[in-house]
Amino acid sequence: MSWVRYTVPAAAVLSAASPAYAVRYLSIEEAQKEAFPSATQFSEVQAGRVWKAEAGGKVVGFFVFDRVVGKHLFIDYAVALTPVGAVHKVEILEYRESYGGDVRSPSWLAQFVGKTSGSALKINGDIRNIAGATLSSTHITEGVKRILAAYGNRLR
Amino acid sequence: MAIASDSIRRARPLLGTFVEIELAGARRSELDCALEAAFGAVAQVHRLMSFHEVDSDVSRLNREAGLRPVSVHAWTYEVLATAVALHRRSSGVFDVTIAPALQALGLLPPLKDRPVQAPLAGFADAIELRPDHQVRFQSSDVMIDLGGIAKGYAVDRAVAVLRDFGIAGGMVNAGGDLRAFGVESRTVHVRDPRDPGRAVCRIDIADEALASTARRVELFDSREPGGSAVIDPATRRPASLVDGVTIRAPSCVIADALTKIVMICGTDAGELLESYHAGALLISAGGDVQITSDWHQRVHLAA
Repeated sequence: MSWVRYTVPAAAVLSAASPAYAVRYLSIEEAQKEAFPSATQFSEVQAGRVWKAEAGGKVVGFFVFDRVVGKHLFIDYAVALTPVGAVHKVEILEYRESYGGDVRSPSWLAQFVGKTSGSALKINGDIRNIAGATLSSTHITEGVKRILAAYGNRLR
Repeated sequence: MAIASDSIRRARPLLGTFVEIELAGARRSELDCALEAAFGAVAQVHRLMSFHEVDSDVSRLNREAGLRPVSVHAWTYEVLATAVALHRRSSGVFDVTIAPALQALGLLPPLKDRPVQAPLAGFADAIELRPDHQVRFQSSDVMIDLGGIAKGYAVDRAVAVLRDFGIAGGMVNAGGDLRAFGVESRTVHVRDPRDPGRAVCRIDIADEALASTARRVELFDSREPGGSAVIDPATRRPASLVDGVTIRAPSCVIADALTKIVMICGTDAGELLESYHAGALLISAGGDVQITSDWHQRVHLAA
């Protein structure tokens, strides 16, 4: 098979710079309902972070919201726990990549204040699917471990 | 009026990366069932083929297959058969017995009760595939890692599940190894491996798979080694000829595996690509982009 060679001028590539890529999958409320479809009530155990799911007065599980921040990645996710504190489901709620700066900078993070439901961030909306070298989800795995250590035995 | 067709997009952390499944063309309740089953298939591949989980088929093989034949799941057997065929057809460039070299570079952890040893050269017939899903290794020094192929296989399994559910179209993306099915064409932006903040191109795909590998991309500021190192079996060092590769192929398992071969062989892999009905885009260390002639019309550079 033959190959076609392109010498890409640096300027052309630079013009394609995508400052950020973001996907909103689920709001907290939607994720709660999907994790515990039978639940009739979600009551906050810890404000904005931990909810108890109940169905007819019976605890069906717990829902923990968390966020991991890397250098360029900023991910909201949720861990659904069974009533005995085992992981039932881990779901990504919102995934964001940002470039040209550190996502932990206060100005970048400030964009998300108050954006908890129904306000999907529109950054570079024309990029719908992104590929490239595989990204590690280690920070989520560590986050789930932290949540289990913090809440696994304490809720109930 | 009820909406006859819906769409759904979800992502979960699996296979050490982010697995995203998007599907459409059925009622919401059917989409939900199909989605759970598809994520279930990906999780199953993870359980069977993880190097890190002690109960996986891969770990059992690494412990026992050098001593006696080991019975594995049909999926593990299928991946091993694909790996053995790729090893033969690539003259040894694709090699799942590279695990000791990955350990020596700190890219895989050492196994308990087993010292990290110098990798042995030339395992032409290291893996013997016997009837009834039995696998035997040539010696107890053989150690495999399916990290270069299992992710693509997981994507294929998930797509097969979605099709079995009668889902009309969708896409499964395991951290960049992805496959679309159905009639709809989809646009995928590919990160520039030299600068992940830029898209090097956009590619239109329909009913086919796309997989990418790069020398190193660090989006998290972690100190852990990236999962994308490709080791040349001949030198046992990371491949350095090419900065990044994207492969198009009919199946994701083949696309995934071919990325490793093209990272090592560069444009010399042209014939092999053709034999697998695959196309490639490679970014050479010098900055040039080279695309196989069958494919270049559908790749839009500097998207």
